Amino acid sequence: MSNMKCETVREWVPDYVSGRLARLDDTSVRSHLKACDECRAEVELARLIFESRVDVPDGLANRVRDAVRYDRTSVSRPWWGITAAAVAALALGIGFSSDRPEQSESAIPGYAYELDDENLWLSDDGLIAGAPALDALSDEALLQFLDELDVGGAGGSA
Amino acid sequence: MRDDEGSGEVLSDEELVERGRAGDDAALSELVERHHAAAYRVAFSMLQEDDAAQDVVQDAFIKAFRALAGFRGEASFRTWILTIAGNEARSALRRRGRRRETALEDAGPVRSQQKPPDMEAVDAQEAAWARKMMETLPEKQKLSVALRIEEGLSFKEIGEIIGSSEGAARVNYFHGIRRLRELLQ
Repeated sequence: MSNMKCETVREWVPDYVSGRLARLDDTSVRSHLKACDECRAEVELARLIFESRVDVPDGLANRVRDAVRYDRTSVSRPWWGITAAAVAALALGIGFSSDRPEQSESAIPGYAYELDDENLWLSDDGLIAGAPALDALSDEALLQFLDELDVGGAGGSA
Repeated sequence: MRDDEGSGEVLSDEELVERGRAGDDAALSELVERHHAAAYRVAFSMLQEDDAAQDVVQDAFIKAFRALAGFRGEASFRTWILTIAGNEARSALRRRGRRRETALEDAGPVRSQQKPPDMEAVDAQEAAWARKMMETLPEKQKLSVALRIEEGLSFKEIGEIIGSSEGAARVNYFHGIRRLRELLQ
């Protein structure tokens, strides 16, 4: 087996199967795989996932470009309406409550997007995986994760 | 994307964003070219419906470009657009009111091109089965696995997209992989 550790190889598996790994690293991984059944199984699974990617429809990029171009050149931009509504609301003294019951449909993170819905992102049981997954975390990232676990103990999950 | 001088230099996403802010349509077009595929796969993995996923991608780019002036660059453009696409897909799911049961034949077409050059061909049925098993994973695990393996994102980027820390993204990925291994055995 090569000098490379299994932990390192598994970090690189996604890049290996997709051909994104640098040639030197690729050679090292290949050498490791010749002698490591477990890592080879990991690669096979990742390869299967990568190979099963859905195809992107032909013409999607052009469709998006056309829509963007139309939106940018449209004379009836919705922002005018929004701006006018905001000005009117302020003129009428209508406050914007921070705990309003209905969140807007905005999907723009800005970059701090809100987790405005119940549990679509928060509903799985992904916290019980093994410790090796955390080996590569920096101290800062680990502390952040531990903070999340505390939140999870109070009723949520990561 | 080539620069104006035609020197062959490939502009970074950050440079394209800057140009897009200044009204350069070609820069925005290049951002679409670079990221529409990943945005589609994110949307499709959540919606399991081609038309709806395409709508999401279109809406995501429109919203992103409208908000370009407010994009502070704290995350990469790629992370930002994929987050918007994810949020748009989530909104579409809410509107739909339920998640669609996915029959195997409803799954998207299995990728048949761009196989890694040194790897043997994967049986199409096996790949379709893997895709079906992917759809059974909880949302965060599914996206963590897909974004890591299919798009090559870092766990930090994945965490930003799914609204978790880097550590939680790692855990979701490894737990998803473990579950897939069990399902596919």
